[in-house]
Amino acid sequence: MKSPKYAYLFEEADGTNKKLLGGKGAGLAEMTHMGLPIPPGFIVTTEACLHYYENKKKLPKGFMEEVEVNLKTVEEKTGKKFGSSQNPLFFSVRSGAAISMPGMMDTILNLGLNDNTLEGLIKITSDGRFAYDAYRRFIQLSGKIALGVEEKEFDQILNKTKVRVGAKEDTDLDVDHLKDICKQYLILVKKRTGTLFPQDPMVQLKLAIEAVFKSWMGKRAVDYRKEFKITSEMANGTAVNVCTMVFGNMGFDSATGVAFTRDPGTGENILYGEYLVNAQGEDVVAGIRTPMPIQEMKKEMPKIYRELERVRKTLEEHFHEVQDFEFTVEKKTLYILQTRNGKMNAQAIVRTSKEMVAEKLITKEQAVLKLKPQELEQLLHNRIDPNFKAKPIAIGLPASPGAASGKAIFDADEAERVGKLGDKVILVREETKPEDIHGFFAARGILTSREKHLMRLWWREAWENPVSQGVKNSESIQKGERPSSEMFISRKEILSPSMAPEARSIWERFLP
Amino acid sequence: MGEVPTVDPEISKDLLTLLSWADEVRTMGVRANADTPDSAVKARQLGAEGIGLCRTERMFNAVDRLPIVREMILAGSKEKRAEAIDKLLPMQKKDFKEIFRAMEGFPVTVRLLDPPLHEFLPSAEELASKLRNIKEVETVLSSAENISEAMKFLDPVFRESLKPLEQLAANISEIKENKLDRKLIRKQEETLRKVKKMMEVNPMLGHRGVRLGITYPEIYRMQIQSVLEAAAELVKEGLDIQPEIMVPQVCTAQELKWVYQLVKKIQKEVEKGYGIQLQFKFGTMIEVVRACMRAGRLAEVADFFSFGTNDLTQATFSFSREDAENKFLPLYNERKILQDNPFEVLDVKGVGRLMMITIEWGRKTKPDLKIGICGEHGGHPESVEFCHTIGLSYVSCSVPRLPIARLAAAHAKLKEKDKKPPEKYDPDTSFSIFF
Repeated sequence: MKSPKYAYLFEEADGTNKKLLGGKGAGLAEMTHMGLPIPPGFIVTTEACLHYYENKKKLPKGFMEEVEVNLKTVEEKTGKKFGSSQNPLFFSVRSGAAISMPGMMDTILNLGLNDNTLEGLIKITSDGRFAYDAYRRFIQLSGKIALGVEEKEFDQILNKTKVRVGAKEDTDLDVDHLKDICKQYLILVKKRTGTLFPQDPMVQLKLAIEAVFKSWMGKRAVDYRKEFKITSEMANGTAVNVCTMVFGNMGFDSATGVAFTRDPGTGENILYGEYLVNAQGEDVVAGIRTPMPIQEMKKEMPKIYRELERVRKTLEEHFHEVQDFEFTVEKKTLYILQTRNGKMNAQAIVRTSKEMVAEKLITKEQAVLKLKPQELEQLLHNRIDPNFKAKPIAIGLPASPGAASGKAIFDADEAERVGKLGDKVILVREETKPEDIHGFFAARGILTSREKHLMRLWWREAWENPVSQGVKNSESIQKGERPSSEMFISRKEILSPSMAPEARSIWERFLP
Repeated sequence: MGEVPTVDPEISKDLLTLLSWADEVRTMGVRANADTPDSAVKARQLGAEGIGLCRTERMFNAVDRLPIVREMILAGSKEKRAEAIDKLLPMQKKDFKEIFRAMEGFPVTVRLLDPPLHEFLPSAEELASKLRNIKEVETVLSSAENISEAMKFLDPVFRESLKPLEQLAANISEIKENKLDRKLIRKQEETLRKVKKMMEVNPMLGHRGVRLGITYPEIYRMQIQSVLEAAAELVKEGLDIQPEIMVPQVCTAQELKWVYQLVKKIQKEVEKGYGIQLQFKFGTMIEVVRACMRAGRLAEVADFFSFGTNDLTQATFSFSREDAENKFLPLYNERKILQDNPFEVLDVKGVGRLMMITIEWGRKTKPDLKIGICGEHGGHPESVEFCHTIGLSYVSCSVPRLPIARLAAAHAKLKEKDKKPPEKYDPDTSFSIFF
């Protein structure tokens, strides 16, 4: 029996087969067919993942040879070479199941970096700092995901160096600091795994694919599927998307960003999103630099902005759905890295569905089907009685509608414990992190002090309960500036005896 | 815990448009469970096409009614009971008139009294503790009466200083004679005795629903009369009123026939009294397993069926909901012994199968039999889809969930094409072999 095909180039894959290619892979294939600017790459199928689990976590026979054939084609298309020190090719390796599970599975960027290719990267970017930073991130990410080295050990090295050289932020580190960190990272990996950090790019690729497969059965992913009742009929195994790396941090004519074809908060028919000039995707996620609203691009990169407007139209005309896409500009060239149906709050779904009927993009019946009855429940959430008079102790941005009351709990594990006892819980955290997901499920509401765009999008997707983000002291926010969500707390209820003293002192200052 | 007060959500114009498109698509009706004129008005605003469940017991529980209801229940004689019922009749009639008026042009299903009577009475513990308190007061007062006698033995000087106490003691006998109402004590004792007598080991399986109607026909008679007179008066005003009388907890066709005859009799009286012809429907709840099995016979008497899936689920699983949800259901769900909480998500494999049998046999007798659902499940999207698939005429849900039910019914219709017929839920047997 001939073994099935386990890897497909974007241009040869059937973009409608999400089951086989995962949502992300199908989207990349579809966009390639549509003629959108997609960096070349290929998709390892969910069948390969299933095979892996059915055969004691072994990759199918001849699998790496198949990968190599695809890789050759990508090399031809890009004119770059995997592992070359002159003109190296790098990959991003991302998970992607039939049903989107944002943040629940692993991704490795800058794959292909080693002591050799690093030189090539420095040569083409003429930016040693960037190259070493990319190497550092790559070692850390693959160390954590593929080699099982604890992330906090890498963080310790990073933080110690920062303290030693007096750097406040990662961006304050210069090329020599980063070079030193890379060295220490490599030593750490050797110490923990007993072998050298793999320098052979093909070995790196194999490890990365396996790491993505493993993350399918990781605790986070399993919990997520359980909570959202994602059955194996809906999504079975993850695909792996191996895509040529493009760099948004190659100078001020490069950028990275995320965008919606319509505003996912209100449903308004405008390009919506944010971007960072001279940055990589994780800069946006890490929240070190504050991204700019995409409308700013009109002035800063007018040509790219016009292209994005065209992409927006093309995507909606093709998918008949609001799309949520990621893009990178590498030296004035726009690349689309991902698209998926935009998750919006119920209010935005209602508005876009109605307007897309008027724009003849969809029929009335399709509009009705777009709003799920469960999502409609979001719109039927109660609001705070407008006649209720009390001074809020803090005001933030609503990430979802509704009102919730409960005990403020500052730790996800504790929230889960108290929630299981049947108490109403509001989880209060600095930010929303996938690691805290068990606490979210137990909470009636979530409050964070930091606003994070990407996480907010993720949130909309995952969660119905009221969420308030970017909560600051009420005096520091000007009235009427943005729609706000408010927080009311009674002194007695928030100060639980088990509260950590630091937290207590913070809250005592806040409370009336 | 202190909570910030909240208000109902607003429904935007865009959403109203989308819901109106959903209404164009869906073929299954959507009604509301509503017990008051206010909620009937709200239900209409949210697109209800009638009331699928109007619980009369909610009206009994109103502050001004409860004392009369208790009088009715505790009455020692038929005459006393009739007196209380006479007071209730105009009140119920007024309720029904207001609800019918609010739902003009749409059907309103009134369910005759369902819960066991002791639910309207104070609990035995409550009464006993009250009685104990009164008796203690009596004992204290009795011993205080002796104070003046006892004081005679005291030193006169000392006695002078205790004058106020002596005065108080003098008042006490007066208080005891005049203020302490022996009758009240006796009445409380009597109530306690009756409450104890009415106590049931399994109230939910006990003296309730139609069983109550047959043992205390005056209550059902009063309710039926209120419904029909309310309708008659509004019809005379020229309104389009569509009352539906529904009998709860029915398990045999004989029970239903018994109530039906009562209804017919009252109908004649009312029609004669008002000089008009009344149009209304008569039907039964399906919430007892035996009723499902006897659907063919029940349909001979009933114009409609309404599934009470909460009770039917309890009966099918032999779970009492409260005990199940508080004690073992969470563990059952966790261990995947049960996929969902059957009180939240309709159990299509068991309860759903009973429903399918009921529909098949009921419509065999009466092809145009109207069949709906009025349990909590009627507002749950997955359950709504199931109801559509098995051919229910309507779902009835709580008022706030109406938009969800409308949308879910439209989704069910639109997804119909991709689905196989209902056999999908029954891979192993055809139901017809049971018939």
